Amino acid sequence: MFVVEGAGIPVHAEGSGATALEVRDLVIRYGDVVAVDSVSFTARRGEVTVILGRNGAGKTSTIEACEGLRRVDGGSIRVLGVDVSKAEASLRARMGVMLQDGGIPPNARVDRLVAHYCLLHGRGTDADEIIRMVGLGSRSHSTWRRLSGGERQRFSLALALAARPDIAFLDEPTAGIDFDGRETIRSIIAGLVRTGCCVILATHDLDEAERVGHRAVVLHRGRVVLDDAIAAVCRNGRRLEDVVREVTG
Amino acid sequence: MRMVVAQLRFELGMLVRNYEQLLLVVAIPVGVLLFFGNVDVLPDSGGIDRVVAAVLALSVMSTAMVSTGIATGFERSYHVLKRLGATPLGRTRLVWAKAGAVAVVELVQAVLLLAIASTMGWSPTASSWWRVVAAMLLGTAAFAGIGLTLAGRLRAEVNLAAQNGLYLLLISVGGVIVPVDELPAAMQDVAGVLPSAALADVLHTSLGGVGDTTPGTWLVLVAWAIIAPLGAARLFRFDG
Repeated sequence: MFVVEGAGIPVHAEGSGATALEVRDLVIRYGDVVAVDSVSFTARRGEVTVILGRNGAGKTSTIEACEGLRRVDGGSIRVLGVDVSKAEASLRARMGVMLQDGGIPPNARVDRLVAHYCLLHGRGTDADEIIRMVGLGSRSHSTWRRLSGGERQRFSLALALAARPDIAFLDEPTAGIDFDGRETIRSIIAGLVRTGCCVILATHDLDEAERVGHRAVVLHRGRVVLDDAIAAVCRNGRRLEDVVREVTG
Repeated sequence: MRMVVAQLRFELGMLVRNYEQLLLVVAIPVGVLLFFGNVDVLPDSGGIDRVVAAVLALSVMSTAMVSTGIATGFERSYHVLKRLGATPLGRTRLVWAKAGAVAVVELVQAVLLLAIASTMGWSPTASSWWRVVAAMLLGTAAFAGIGLTLAGRLRAEVNLAAQNGLYLLLISVGGVIVPVDELPAAMQDVAGVLPSAALADVLHTSLGGVGDTTPGTWLVLVAWAIIAPLGAARLFRFDG
């Protein structure tokens, strides 16, 4: 057992480097529109895999399919070795999820909802520790509607951490967050990685992706146009932003 | 079971802190009972028995349809249901927790309303309690089905308006406050097949009111209790 730095959240560290997510030939359609077209990639424990691409590239659809929240039209997804379409509570207990648009009732108080999610996941996490870790200690009695945009993002991240995740899906966690907040989230992600968690991070912030990511999967018009280690694509001083611009035309 | 109970408690906690919902499930039924129990404005109303039955039916509509429907509609719109779908709770346990919360609220409502009614001269001595419980269960299934069908298809704001509009319509001309046979002739045929009228009528006779419920009235209530939840199960979309 490890402890996430500054968090007091024990996380199993075994299995670092093992495949935690395996997406094969994923297809998602909305009517006649093919949003995700034969997407395949894998992600490992102890790494941050960043999903990049322009608006409408298929990032959120792909992530939500991996979370078991979206019906797929083709392909297969295995999360922690389990077919996500047959995911039982035991798999969902180990998954940390941060939706792009929160999923939090406006009148829910930070402390109560985080404690409730800790209870639902049943993984022995401590709500107060998580709230302090995401920097909402002084706002723990506030409701979602009274929080700023950045605080709402941290609230949503706290719910993902309530799972003491072996795999965490974070959809644009730094959107609307100020510099200090980004630093906090960066530190939380680094802590999760050190303890063997597989982090799947969708973001538009390419600097952020380059800082925290190990592997980049770039989607363009629903297809994978790049899937490689960030260290490999950013050789010789090339920036990830330039590489992504190049492959997405 | 642990997760269902945790979610049920959370749902109840959210309801208690939501003043609009408290208005719907407590203030309106109590207000209607106090008003119509003390002011004789209803046509040949049948006395306090009829008012108590009407208010119990109204409380079932308030909780199972309007309160649950509006809350669920907004939860859908804010992606709360989707987020819960990614927890170990899952959809089935969520539905059970919500059903349990409705049952708890209705039990509290019934105890409160009948306690107030007993201070206004209503006596429970002639009541058939198993028929009261059966009617309330069937009514709850019917109105929850209607509320969730609307909540599962409409945008949150449209759903809010639709639930409130339907609630007012059923209270005024749905055979709840004014019995079906005292409505204008043109409305009686329609009101007679509504779940609101059937529930109020069954509760009236079960609580010791004059007359007897025809099998046709029970049939209407049972039909709505089957069809409405089936409709909700078929049409409900978890994500808005």
